[in-house]
Amino acid sequence: MGGKIIKVSVNVGDTVAEDDEVAVLEAMKMEMPIVAEEDGTVAEVKVAAGQTVEAEQVIITLK
Amino acid sequence: MSVPTTTQEKLAELERRESEASLGGGAKRIEAQHAKGKMTARERIVSLMDEDTFEEFDRFVVHRCADFGMDRQKIPGDGVVTGHGKVDGRPVFVFSQDFTVFGGSLSGPFGEKVCKVMDLAVKAGAPIIGLNDSGGARIQEGVISLGSYGEIFRRNVLASGVVPQISAIMGPCAGGAVYSPAITDFIFMVDQTSYMHITGPQVIKTVTGEEVTSETVGGAKVHNSKSGVAQFIAKTDQQCLADVRKLLSYLPQNWEEKAPEKLSADSAERRNPELDEFIPDNYKSPYDMKKLIKTVVDKDSFFEVAKQFAKNMITAFARLGGMVVGIVANNPMFLAGSLDIDASRKCSRFVRFCDAFNIPVITFVDVPGFLPGVQQEYGGIITHGSKVIYAYCEATVPLITVITRKAYGGAYDVMGSKHHGADVNFAYPTAEIAVMGPEGAVNIVFRKEIDQASDKAQAYQELVAQYRAKVASPYKAAELGYIDEIIRPRDTRAKVIRALTALKNKRTWRPVRRHGNIPL
Repeated sequence: MGGKIIKVSVNVGDTVAEDDEVAVLEAMKMEMPIVAEEDGTVAEVKVAAGQTVEAEQVIITLK
Repeated sequence: MSVPTTTQEKLAELERRESEASLGGGAKRIEAQHAKGKMTARERIVSLMDEDTFEEFDRFVVHRCADFGMDRQKIPGDGVVTGHGKVDGRPVFVFSQDFTVFGGSLSGPFGEKVCKVMDLAVKAGAPIIGLNDSGGARIQEGVISLGSYGEIFRRNVLASGVVPQISAIMGPCAGGAVYSPAITDFIFMVDQTSYMHITGPQVIKTVTGEEVTSETVGGAKVHNSKSGVAQFIAKTDQQCLADVRKLLSYLPQNWEEKAPEKLSADSAERRNPELDEFIPDNYKSPYDMKKLIKTVVDKDSFFEVAKQFAKNMITAFARLGGMVVGIVANNPMFLAGSLDIDASRKCSRFVRFCDAFNIPVITFVDVPGFLPGVQQEYGGIITHGSKVIYAYCEATVPLITVITRKAYGGAYDVMGSKHHGADVNFAYPTAEIAVMGPEGAVNIVFRKEIDQASDKAQAYQELVAQYRAKVASPYKAAELGYIDEIIRPRDTRAKVIRALTALKNKRTWRPVRRHGNIPL
């Protein structure tokens, strides 16, 4: 869902587990966690807090 | 071999034929099946049923095809193992496709065997379980094979809403073969070893040029998360069959029975003070709706259906005071809990299943509205959203609704409202029940005031705050009797169980007609 990124919760190099919060998206007056789809290490963070994003846009990449 | 003449010899002959039949396609093919991480058709049945309860039918059935040299290849059973047995002491009928025999392909006699157990299941009022692992139609049989599929589909349709029908996909299931499982109530899939698709990778490549694998076009993950075709995914055959057993424990044997009650050590009067602090003060903060539900229902009874599909909508079976219920809930963690096409399809099909099989529906509401967007409109959200209305309005089982937070706009009506026939409607003091959210409403109601204000932004913010305080509460709805009682979250379990107990023998009537016309 499109909306505004209000927080990026991870940095490049961080290890994340499946379902860990990686960012928070505000849309429809709700601040929703965006969670990792699988375990991994953050390779790239492609958004910054305050940025508007579209549905299906890549927020972070894992390796 | 000599012709048996004595009784002893005749018994020995039976023994010999039985052991031949039980080998299916033979040791080599069984080995190949195991090498793929799959169990055989018979091993699956043994794993599904209570110990030593399976009774097999038609094990000596063979095909009658004389074309393409088929008359020289006959294997007793002809590719499917059928019969009945027990799960948790209750009878079930089963057919289990045997991939070791002609790749589990469907012949005329194969179809007749399946139809025989389906007919018996309906007559006996017992669930029918299909374990699918088949290459599809047996080409050598020609159009007979298509006739057989058609006979099975028609029986699936006629059994729908009469006895529970459950499908497990444990290998290939492609082409027309997918439609029998598709008509049944629930589809289980085994990850990596099963797939379902109408057209496979080869056909797709020829027609559209796309290069795909069976897994990406129709694997267990795809159907559980993207298409919504399947509702359950398991890592192994064993796990899949254990899950089927678990699902059956929540279901009645047929539409006239009630689901089995299970005495719970969990007190019906248990209060949960922690729930009084559960809904966040900040109305923008989501919370874990599943955690709330798990706290309310009998301990360890929460069993989620279609967990990975349309996560903004939760559907699950659970028990309350030992009674089986279907749970429907918006999940504010995903898409703000809004209703979209997928959530509407998921919810309406689940509510209709519950209604068909005497299972009361408990709805937890936190819905900001329908998901806005061109994609939703083009995809037909109007039609799909109306399915939810249809499902609740035609339901005759007990309906209890708890509004935890938001219930805005048309979505308020849709989610088990009093107006759609819910019997008991509760709301938390944190509920916000209104025609639209304050941010939007203020722009319309106070347009003039905002236009005339010297500081428009400040005037807007103030009016929003005023409007929120005045309208975004459960009290307007309670004044009108749309909400029967405003309850403390800590009391949810006791309140819902008491309502459920009061409604246990609910009876209601529908107009006489051929059938309604649900917007499909």
